Amino acid sequence: MQVKSEIAGSVWKIIAETGADLAADDVIAILESMKMEIPVVAPKAGKLKEIHVAEGDMIGEGQLIATLD
Amino acid sequence: MSWDNDIDEIKKRRKLAKQQGGKQAVKAHHEKGRLTIRERVETLLDKNSFDEVGEGAGVPEYDDDGKLKDFQPANFILGFGQIDGRKVIVGGEDFTVRGGSPNPAGLRKSVYTEQLALQYKVPLIRLHEGGGGSVGGTNKEKNRRPLGEPVFSQSRFVPLAETLSAVPVASAALGPVAGLPAARLVASHFTVMTQNAAVLIAGPQVVKRALGHDMTKEELGGPQVHLSSGAIDNLAEDEADAMAQIRRFLSFLPDNAWAYPEKLPCKDKADRYEDSLADIVPTNRRQPFQMRKIIEAVVDRDGDASSFFEMSRKFGPSLITGLARLDGESVGIIGNDCMYYAGAMTAEAAQKLRRFADFCNSFHLPIISFVDEPGFMIGPDSEQAGTIRHGTAAISAVLQSRVPWASVQVLKAFGVAAQAHFGPDGYVLSWPSAASGALPVEGGVAVAFAREIAAAEDPAARQKELEDMLAASQSPFPRAEGLSVHEIIDPRETRPKLISWLRLAIAAMQTQPPVPYLTGMRP
Repeated sequence: MQVKSEIAGSVWKIIAETGADLAADDVIAILESMKMEIPVVAPKAGKLKEIHVAEGDMIGEGQLIATLD
Repeated sequence: MSWDNDIDEIKKRRKLAKQQGGKQAVKAHHEKGRLTIRERVETLLDKNSFDEVGEGAGVPEYDDDGKLKDFQPANFILGFGQIDGRKVIVGGEDFTVRGGSPNPAGLRKSVYTEQLALQYKVPLIRLHEGGGGSVGGTNKEKNRRPLGEPVFSQSRFVPLAETLSAVPVASAALGPVAGLPAARLVASHFTVMTQNAAVLIAGPQVVKRALGHDMTKEELGGPQVHLSSGAIDNLAEDEADAMAQIRRFLSFLPDNAWAYPEKLPCKDKADRYEDSLADIVPTNRRQPFQMRKIIEAVVDRDGDASSFFEMSRKFGPSLITGLARLDGESVGIIGNDCMYYAGAMTAEAAQKLRRFADFCNSFHLPIISFVDEPGFMIGPDSEQAGTIRHGTAAISAVLQSRVPWASVQVLKAFGVAAQAHFGPDGYVLSWPSAASGALPVEGGVAVAFAREIAAAEDPAARQKELEDMLAASQSPFPRAEGLSVHEIIDPRETRPKLISWLRLAIAAMQTQPPVPYLTGMRP
């Protein structure tokens, strides 16, 4: 399953590690947008297969952040 | 002599009308996981309440003796019925007849739907699944060229437009909906679509021929497109859920614009203090919070079930809009969602707000506004989207309101966009977390004090010092001292305070007779 950003901004912190088993709503990364810290969460439980962004990256609306198994 | 033969003929024709597109067509429709229009009407309405209009309309086929041989029913079913004991009118295409594309009787019935709603002033529900016109025309007679409507006839779009100011209109897309049915679908106050529905101006073949795009109808106009395009308000899990959402939407509204919404008995306590609100807003301004939790904590609850009914969540998501009960009264709710661009007003959010404010004014719903507005969305995309015009139109719609407004300033109210959250003569409550001004401190200081900061020995320290000083000036306490807000309140008191106000505001509003809301030009 693909987890995409619903907003434009920059990647402030990556929180979860690749390979981790995530529960629904677990935070994967925190974006900074309009001076606020907006978490990107797992929409449902699954293993974190890949994170496609790095801290400091500028991202756009709809950009792929992570893939869950 | 008697009329027995003719009476038998009526029975025969009624039976033929119920066959819809025939057994095969109905079976194929069910195999796609869809209900027929007659089943849909049954699901929507109170049991046995359907009172059909124009059952005998259709395309007959006669034998050489002039006796009826076969009968293709109109491809549009129309009639009155009841929802929770209240009269409504319902219509929808029969997809099993010509794929919902109009036959002559079907077209007449479909066009008559809005006229009946206007004539009898009852809520209108349309259950759509069907295409528009065919290049072959609606009449299959050979050598017959379409004549068109007489030049003196009224356009069918006149009643379509007028219903929106007169009666509540709710529509569902329950399969492919294209052309005229798609236009009628969106001429509604509330639209819902199922997962396997698609809403299209023109289908894949037409698009491929004209533009070269090779796309399915779902890719062109499925829920993933139209929930965020704003054409459709809500997604339904299945057809039963679509009907349930329509029933719920209508439960908040009066029968027409000449009536006030009905107050229902309230099972929730009017004086309920909500402890969860005391610290729901983080003191760190960079951290977001869940505005929906605030809304749900304040409005009426029945056990665990909130009365909040959200609409258009995916379109302009930085603004939340929906209906709820407060003290048993129907109210419109708006709130900023800081999870999207800090709650900033985008062009889409502005269009959503303008439409919602006009809707609430049309049906006399007081508006409760939960404010956390950092301002219009900034940046190149926002400028390109014409946000300033859409936003100014939204402000005009809000400030021309005639319904009562209450605003709870939860956190931010900055810039011009803040005006879109406070209606005329509104009741204004402020939480201790509220901050107001021309610009949020973080952005404003860097601009207004640019030279001073640059000249300082330690620019970062000077900027921080200025920000802290100005943040204090955005505090709500001086505003309460100057009666710029009615009260600064403990967030826990929000519900009782709003209810006390709402009782006064509704009594005052209802001293005047309710009449339709007709607006002028907006920016």
